[in-house]
Amino acid sequence: MTRPDRREATQIRALHCALGQLSRVDGSAQFSLGDTSVLCGVYGPVDVKIYDEKIDRAHIEVKFRPDIGVPTTKDKWTESAVRQTFEQLILAQLHPRTLVQINIQVRQADGAVDAAAINAATMALVDAAIPLHSMVAAATCAVLESGEIVVDPNQEEADQARSIHTLAFENKTTEGPAYVDSRGDFTMDEYNRCYDLCATSAERVLAFMRSAIESKISKEAKLSTT
Amino acid sequence: MSQGDVAKSGQVVFAIEAFKRIHPVEFQRRFLSQGTRHSGRGFSQFRATHVTKGTISTAQGSSTVRIGNTTVVCGIKAEVSEPDVKAPNEGYLVTNVDLSPMCSAHFRPGAPGETAQVSSEHLHRLFGGNVVDPGSLCIEPGQAVWALSADIVFLKYDGNVLDAAVIALTAALEDLQLPKAEFDSATGVVSADKTMGQRLKLRKRLFPATFSLVDGAYLVADADDAEEQLATATVLVVLDDNGRLVNIWKRGAGDINRATISRCVEDAGTRKAALAKELE
Repeated sequence: MTRPDRREATQIRALHCALGQLSRVDGSAQFSLGDTSVLCGVYGPVDVKIYDEKIDRAHIEVKFRPDIGVPTTKDKWTESAVRQTFEQLILAQLHPRTLVQINIQVRQADGAVDAAAINAATMALVDAAIPLHSMVAAATCAVLESGEIVVDPNQEEADQARSIHTLAFENKTTEGPAYVDSRGDFTMDEYNRCYDLCATSAERVLAFMRSAIESKISKEAKLSTT
Repeated sequence: MSQGDVAKSGQVVFAIEAFKRIHPVEFQRRFLSQGTRHSGRGFSQFRATHVTKGTISTAQGSSTVRIGNTTVVCGIKAEVSEPDVKAPNEGYLVTNVDLSPMCSAHFRPGAPGETAQVSSEHLHRLFGGNVVDPGSLCIEPGQAVWALSADIVFLKYDGNVLDAAVIALTAALEDLQLPKAEFDSATGVVSADKTMGQRLKLRKRLFPATFSLVDGAYLVADADDAEEQLATATVLVVLDDNGRLVNIWKRGAGDINRATISRCVEDAGTRKAALAKELE
């Protein structure tokens, strides 16, 4: 069965990443999966409101804005999911009584937006030099009506899918998943197959992230020595 | 028991309460490290769950659910509304979770907080289109449809929002009786006959089960409020009548591996059997 953009079933879309494009934030990253593009800007550690101040750790805040329209409860849901993921991954004990604010703006949405948001947030946190326990990469799978499983579905495929699975993994994908969101009508067997496919895709994304960071650092090193 | 013993036991109780307040993590660890929980439950034991349908006579469908000390009431009002232009044959279900200061000191008065908004959205994703067939809510295509407004109000909160909300909404939808509606094309008025109500035919029922990783190490089922405060990861598993999966939602990057999630799904199956009996 051919996919709308003629990709293989296990093929993710073109990955693109740009670090440090925003000058006012502490760190930023733009992450793209094909036509899905998400921009993330991170402030941290910065001043925190007295109400949110924690004596032994930093307060983590996530703001998620959709590409079109005002934020709704749908975006609140994504904020909560992203926040709970990074709350355990940021070494917040190193910066007590401060705030780390993750701002995510969707520039273009064509499926797998949640995964792109998590990936953009990871890269922006690294760019901001916020200490992390590990990086995390997310990937999406869809089980179509035919039972076929495709990786990194675009919006058209996602709308017709019987179930959608977004999973995020830390550096070592052999340990448990950092985040799981499987929705629709599926069996444990389908879930397991999606799990394996997402783990493989997440590894590819992690490798891509590492090479993007390496190239940025080597460019900066060259600039500083000239 | 002498006066001296009563005074001493009173002091012991006071000391335990103070310890629980001042060192909540240590307090829980005393129990969890011994393989039990502060409520005396086992790690995979859910609290006693009671479901009562039809508790609000003024609503078209309603239910009250108690999971331990968490009490929630769900009321569904059916109103006639114009359909969306893009879906002229479909009615809709709007879900709203209300967590007010009345149910717990965690929640502030005013606009819905994050927990309420996230829960409302998650219920919408679980139930919208899946459980109620939107086509069955149509009165007259393009003119009039039923808009079901489900309000899930927590009266007492002791952990586990989503399980309670999903069970309450499922029960209220089963209880729902829609008045027989007729559309008069001449006047454009819908007349509803309350005495001739009909139940909705639901596509499926949803059975939830929540598991929390407390203190980064202990996976417990149906965490109460004290345990929830210390959770580093939470897994929600939702099954339908046939045991097929509707949702696996793991949030919080605490360490829950693949095998553990499989066990959670199995335990959710056991919980489903108990809930199905309660929903009868």
